[in-house]
Amino acid sequence: MGSNSTEKALSILRYLPRCKKRGRGQHGGDKHGAGNKGSGQRQNYMRLGYETGNNPFYLRFPHEPYYQGHHLRRQYPPLSMLELQTLIDTNRIDPTKPIDLVAILNTGLYKLFPDQKQFGVHLTDEGADVFKTKVNIEVQWANEIVIAAIERAGGVITTAYFDQHSLQAMLNTKKFFERGVPIPRRMMPPPDAIEYYSDPDKRGYLADPEKISQQRLVLAQKFGYLLPKIEEDPEYEMLLERKDPRQIFYGLHPGWVVNLKDKVILKPEEQELQRYYAS
Amino acid sequence: VRHSSYYSSPFLEDVGEITTKYEVTRIPEEWKFVERVLPPGLVPEPVKKPEYPSGWKPQGDDFTNSPYFIARTRNHMMPVYLKIMQRGHKRHTIIRKIQGDIWQLEKHLRPFLEDLIKPKPLRLQVDEFAGKICINGDHVNAIKYWLSQRNF
Repeated sequence: MGSNSTEKALSILRYLPRCKKRGRGQHGGDKHGAGNKGSGQRQNYMRLGYETGNNPFYLRFPHEPYYQGHHLRRQYPPLSMLELQTLIDTNRIDPTKPIDLVAILNTGLYKLFPDQKQFGVHLTDEGADVFKTKVNIEVQWANEIVIAAIERAGGVITTAYFDQHSLQAMLNTKKFFERGVPIPRRMMPPPDAIEYYSDPDKRGYLADPEKISQQRLVLAQKFGYLLPKIEEDPEYEMLLERKDPRQIFYGLHPGWVVNLKDKVILKPEEQELQRYYAS
Repeated sequence: VRHSSYYSSPFLEDVGEITTKYEVTRIPEEWKFVERVLPPGLVPEPVKKPEYPSGWKPQGDDFTNSPYFIARTRNHMMPVYLKIMQRGHKRHTIIRKIQGDIWQLEKHLRPFLEDLIKPKPLRLQVDEFAGKICINGDHVNAIKYWLSQRNF
């Protein structure tokens, strides 16, 4: 049997001379592992890192704190408002339905790499003056000008956080459903991001809706445009559609398994699972 | 951090009887959400609108009188590209997908471009076989404007 031969081999090895020779004893004698002449044999070594006089590598560069923690910082690859408007004009994104990260990724023109610390869309203000579509948009980072431009056109903007696991599911939804894994819950943002996403100024998804409507008025007065009344809009319901903080896709709850082949959705019936996914 | 992985989950044959209760639902409204989340297989055709705020224009209809024709790319965009080489020093504007009489197009383009870069000489290369025109310099937006004026 296999184990027998390995045991025999190991027992033989036990009596062979060791590969690493200690510099002591009968067979490690003569020069005692110290070589011939030089500072090596005379045990007069230079300090670690010393390069025989020239400026050593560890002293050449002064402290450079600019890149400190750069590998831990979150990145949000930009998408300009002009590009967004072009996508809407060429019928790639449907403005009659809420636009979220999944809709932008499905066009194929915006690429996201969650494994490279990229956490979502950063809507930039290039093209904010020509933006004229009424949309319900959900991004991960937006500044004042962008929020003002979208609200001036009569739309609604929210900033939401998606953890990397949910981002990976959103990247290729077909592949994710084919995996047969239940839709996961969206995790809460990390401590340094919670402030941003609970800020009504930035239209965070964790912020108070009343404060958000107050901030809408404030922004309208700051930038000097008439705030359009959403209540009188025929698309009011669509504009108000918002995701639950634990929901990843619109209309699909966490814990469901989507079967694409049989066109069926499997929902858990166990109490524990339902409680877990609803929390 | 997720506590299970691809390697920790067993094969379907080894799973055996599934004891957790689940229900199978076929609600059409929920399936509509699933279809919304799935990507479209093909590039969608643009819809005709009276105005496009982004500045994008669809291609015109009638080119029977024009000696040349510049097709749109599969994403319905204009085939004018900027090629940057030599670490930003060299910039070439390339017009692709030219069908018909390229030399006529070159004859019409030359005065327009020479007007743009008045004292400097214009360096233009026509590749008749490939249907390409390569111009020295960054004139992408100018050429896109010129083409959109002729409804290409």
